[in-house]
Amino acid sequence: MMLKCSKWMLAAGALAAVLASVAPSKAQQTIRVGWTIPAEESKYWMMRRPAEFPDLGKTYKVEWTQFQGTAPMTQALAAGALDCATQAPLSLANGVVGGNLKAYIVAQHVYEKPGGFSVYWAVMDDSPIKKISDLKGKTVGISVIGGGTYGPFAMLLKKNGVDPAKDIKLVEVGFAVSEDALRQGRVDAVNMNQPFAARAEAKGGTRKLFSLSEEMPNIVHILEACRADFVDKNPDVVKAYVRDITSGMKKALANREETLKVVSEVLKAPIPVLDTYLLKDNDFGRDPGAAPNFPAIQKMLDIYAETGMLPKMDVAQFKHPTIVAPLQ
Amino acid sequence: MTVIRAFVSRSAPLMACLGLLAIWQVAALMLKTDSFPGAWEAIKAIPSILGDQESLINILASIRRMAIGFSVAVLVSIPLGLMMGRSRAVASFFNPLLMITYPVPKAALMPIILLWLGVGDIAKMLVIFLGVSLPVIYHSFQGAKAIEEKMLWSGAAMGLSAAQRMIRIVLPAALPEILTGCRTGLVLALITMVTSEMIARQSGAGNILFNALDMGQYDTVYAMIIIIGAMGIGLDAAFERLRARLVRWSEPGFEIPLSFA
Repeated sequence: MMLKCSKWMLAAGALAAVLASVAPSKAQQTIRVGWTIPAEESKYWMMRRPAEFPDLGKTYKVEWTQFQGTAPMTQALAAGALDCATQAPLSLANGVVGGNLKAYIVAQHVYEKPGGFSVYWAVMDDSPIKKISDLKGKTVGISVIGGGTYGPFAMLLKKNGVDPAKDIKLVEVGFAVSEDALRQGRVDAVNMNQPFAARAEAKGGTRKLFSLSEEMPNIVHILEACRADFVDKNPDVVKAYVRDITSGMKKALANREETLKVVSEVLKAPIPVLDTYLLKDNDFGRDPGAAPNFPAIQKMLDIYAETGMLPKMDVAQFKHPTIVAPLQ
Repeated sequence: MTVIRAFVSRSAPLMACLGLLAIWQVAALMLKTDSFPGAWEAIKAIPSILGDQESLINILASIRRMAIGFSVAVLVSIPLGLMMGRSRAVASFFNPLLMITYPVPKAALMPIILLWLGVGDIAKMLVIFLGVSLPVIYHSFQGAKAIEEKMLWSGAAMGLSAAQRMIRIVLPAALPEILTGCRTGLVLALITMVTSEMIARQSGAGNILFNALDMGQYDTVYAMIIIIGAMGIGLDAAFERLRARLVRWSEPGFEIPLSFA
């Protein structure tokens, strides 16, 4: 009888132990995060060096999903399939307008710092195109027609007497094949982004015609946004996540050598290729605290409204009173 | 003469592959563009992909999703196709649905499926399921439809129920056609396996392929295309062996000459 009783007690004890071990994991919230390549160093650090982030995997977990560009992530956020994701100001605003998305901008990844890299349009060295107005009647490549770079590009052209809708033949050319398209004469001018710009410059034979910073300084290329309902329901978890993005950005900037390794692991790109630009003067800018530049984002929204790509919007709707990088 | 003919017939697939690689290499040398590396450069990149543990995990994750999507599609499609072939009512109900969904590129459904099922494995397996199920249904349907009525009458006369006739007469008789559908489905499973990873992914062969494409690492892109192509050849050859064994009875007992020479 005694033996039977102790067996039951043991089983109950084991069950209690199992339940106890389950309880904290149940309490541990998972954030479904969308990401893309390149230029999200703080998130790459979190993915590849999780031990450096004490809350990650303990206070909260991240379910990482990689996307091809920011637009599908906007759809996934609007559909509730993601909680947080990398966004461009235009895709996020499109989500608000077309998908009824409500979201907060909680951090910023990269922007165009004065004197640093700015997305530019290149022509061949021997091209007769010397200024923007020479583009009339030419074939011009852009990564995405109607995408984030289109607004300032269209404004610059208009200011120089070129109607982007009528005076040029605008074709979509992905950044990765820009250089090839230009050298083979498939386009007369094309937009260049890192790391492809560094590769093309090293090879020579091309020159910069104009860059986006001429129209608009401090362009914010990618930022981190989280669904408003998710943030409102789980403020502590999102705070921990934003704290880690802040700390990831600090680590990325403080230890370039390790960042090169981390980025190489994620992008599967050789370190010598990354070393030509990553975190150098010819790279995009990164705020040391991953703080979003709301005035710059407002300026971008104004330009998109001016070019008819978006209705007038106020950036204040994306600002959470407390949950925004830098968070310590 | 027979020995030479046998050698040519055996080495023909290898020679075709080598010929294709040679044409590729020459074309790349002539075009001289970064986005089109030569076959040799692509082949040289294969060991580094297959030697990387993470890449292998990615490729295995894709194969797992493909195997599940293919198996579920076959299990659902064969009975449905057979029923369509033997019941006019079932055929007239499902035929219009199939006619609508057949021409739709399954990869184009991916964004919508992502909205319904989220970004996980289920959405990707559903795309594979859709890609595989249609040819399997169609071939099972045709196989079941082509059966001579006399055979079924004989079965009924011998006391077989409708279900028994389906399993003991229709299924074996339609098997050669069903397996042809499965073979087509297998190739489509491989194609949809990669395209399903194009928009959103947590792991997979598409992870390696599309990342390399984004970063302009074309030797890796083409190396992955070779790896996926080799997977296709391997799977097809294995399936063809299985098919030949299962339907040996339906194959002609002698070789049919291709010409009268």
